[in-house]
Amino acid sequence: MAKQILRINMSKLEATYEPVPEKWARWGGRGLTSAIVCDEVDPACHPLGPNNKVVIAPGWVSGSPAAPSSGRTSFGGKSPLTGGIKEANSGGLSSQKIAKLGLAAIIIEGMPKDGKWYSVFVNKDGVKFEDAGALAGKGMYEVDTLMWKKYPNKPAVIGIGPVGEMKLSNAGISVNDPENEPGRYAGRGGLGAVLGVRGVKVMVIDDTGGPGVDVANKDLFTEGRKKLTDAIQAHALTKKDGGLWTFGTNVLMNIINEAGGLPTRGFSAGQFEGAAKISGETVAENIEKRGGVGTKHHACHPGCIMQCSSIYTHEDGTAFVSSIEYETSWSLGANCGIDDIEYIAQATRECNDIGLDTIEAGNAIAIAMEGGYLKYGDKAGALKTFDEIRKGTPMGRIFGQGTEATAKAFGVYRIPTVKGQSMPAYEPRAIKGIGVTYATTPMGADHTSGYTIAPEIAGVGGKVDPLTDTDKTGLSLTFQAATAFIDSTGYCLFIAFPILDIPEGWDGMAKTVAGVTGQDVTGEKVIDIGKEILKKERLFNEAAGFTKEDDRLPEFMREELLPPHNVKWTLPDEELDKVYAWVHAG
Amino acid sequence: MASCITAADGEHRNRSGTSLADIQVDLNLYGTLAAFAGGKYIAQKKVSLHEGAVIRDLMDLLAIPYDQKSYLFINAVLCDVPGLLASLGEPLRDGDRVGIFSLQHMWPYQYRDGIRMSESLTEALRKHGAIHNTY
Repeated sequence: MAKQILRINMSKLEATYEPVPEKWARWGGRGLTSAIVCDEVDPACHPLGPNNKVVIAPGWVSGSPAAPSSGRTSFGGKSPLTGGIKEANSGGLSSQKIAKLGLAAIIIEGMPKDGKWYSVFVNKDGVKFEDAGALAGKGMYEVDTLMWKKYPNKPAVIGIGPVGEMKLSNAGISVNDPENEPGRYAGRGGLGAVLGVRGVKVMVIDDTGGPGVDVANKDLFTEGRKKLTDAIQAHALTKKDGGLWTFGTNVLMNIINEAGGLPTRGFSAGQFEGAAKISGETVAENIEKRGGVGTKHHACHPGCIMQCSSIYTHEDGTAFVSSIEYETSWSLGANCGIDDIEYIAQATRECNDIGLDTIEAGNAIAIAMEGGYLKYGDKAGALKTFDEIRKGTPMGRIFGQGTEATAKAFGVYRIPTVKGQSMPAYEPRAIKGIGVTYATTPMGADHTSGYTIAPEIAGVGGKVDPLTDTDKTGLSLTFQAATAFIDSTGYCLFIAFPILDIPEGWDGMAKTVAGVTGQDVTGEKVIDIGKEILKKERLFNEAAGFTKEDDRLPEFMREELLPPHNVKWTLPDEELDKVYAWVHAG
Repeated sequence: MASCITAADGEHRNRSGTSLADIQVDLNLYGTLAAFAGGKYIAQKKVSLHEGAVIRDLMDLLAIPYDQKSYLFINAVLCDVPGLLASLGEPLRDGDRVGIFSLQHMWPYQYRDGIRMSESLTEALRKHGAIHNTY
């Protein structure tokens, strides 16, 4: 059965099913959300106005039989945080279920004339709109629980917390995990506010009886799936008992700290004396010690064989939160001068419940500390900010707007943002390569925009000698293009590690995409396909008013030395301008 | 609180039998290596060594097998990576911070492109060429 586009008009409370037009037929995931946003959203529109849209797309292989770790859902729109195009993707249950309903994408447009909140239920029989006024103001833990009580088939639940309802720029979109916890987020860029504008409090996706995903070439798909699975299970980072399996993404905390690249107390130092206490190693020790329902290996979506998620527990072994990611532990911890993992677990739960991106939330709190509203290390004060946001007090609404708005409120100049989006857990003055990606990606400062493995290790995704070739701008573009492609597959971005290190894995990944879609996708074409996506996104941003001056790291990073290496950001602006010069080079 | 490990008495004497001036380093062991200093997944110890000691002496003192280390840092400078032994001869000085990670630890390249590396590691990587992380 040919895939369809489901268009949901919230002004009319109508849903229509459309054939996928030729211009979008070859795309999935991020490639598709960005194509639709570029075609249907006026780049000059106000992100919270009637002309923005939320586009939801599973990746190419999501929902196909036993493609490993392929449950990522892409969410796209114009970002209220950056003012540019945004794709944020999430694990959880939604990707595979949307795909199994035969849908290439869901486009949500318009806004209810009555100003009410709605729930949108989607199954094989169509779309049902219901008044969701009773859910207004509720956090996502309760919303998810209520939806599974109401709908018995354990559906995917996509929703927004109070932050999205208030249409604040740091509102994420929650997706439930297999245990029906709301910890999976399309967090970055404020797309939760865009969904809030549409009047959608929650979407429920039930794929029971759906047509499933057609596989164009089963032999090719099976061959690719086996190669990819073997590569994931062989690689040191992704295999069972490997780094992600054992310590989750927070395996990086101590490494980045030892390297002097851990942004500490508002990006004022590169090492945090309390890093070990909030690291993946500490989380693992506590989970083992406490027993109960805790686990170090948790799949955020069915079929994930890497299982980097975890379930963190209280001291009595009952569930606390899933999951404490590296960027979350850094943002709410080291960046705020806080070394208490129990506080971080609680703060993570608060973010998951009220619907905040944890990276932006921690940066906003750190800015308030920088501005003297709170002191660095003040856990009680930091927790109070979540209450303020939940209640929608004027102070809470400032925090909920993210880092730049908070900086303006407190008169802070040292603002770690690019294009309005705050930096994640890697100090660009110490880890210089990622600074190029922060500066130039269309998404704003983002650690997931430029994925690859070491060129000196790989030799698969482009041979570069990082020791002699200082062209970090060319390297960053390759990273960004490979990432845009993987974000389109539905695979978790972490497959990048094995497939870029193991040639058979790279080949296998391309074969699964070719096998499912029937398209001529090979490993050699990946970078070019990724660049097509980047070009669309770049041109959208230009039409939205972005110039090369927006591709810059914050001024203070050129002015201040970062200890312990005592380095500044020194890359010339002209180098940054080279990254996307090709877009207009014909 | 960090505890202290000292090389066995008598190991650090010069030919005349007088004790050499000791140095002390802050050692941080992560992952399975923590077990070599009494930890589960993290061990933070002050370790006394003889003047002129190198990384090899430190690892020998704690009986850490060389092939079980991955990334190794001295004072925030990357001195070793999985699959290489570029750091064994790195000299240690009083007050140095040393971090050694187990093979479970991986550090994706985009998060370390441009970080500071030791001369020995830079040269070792240049000579070695491609390394695959499938051990």
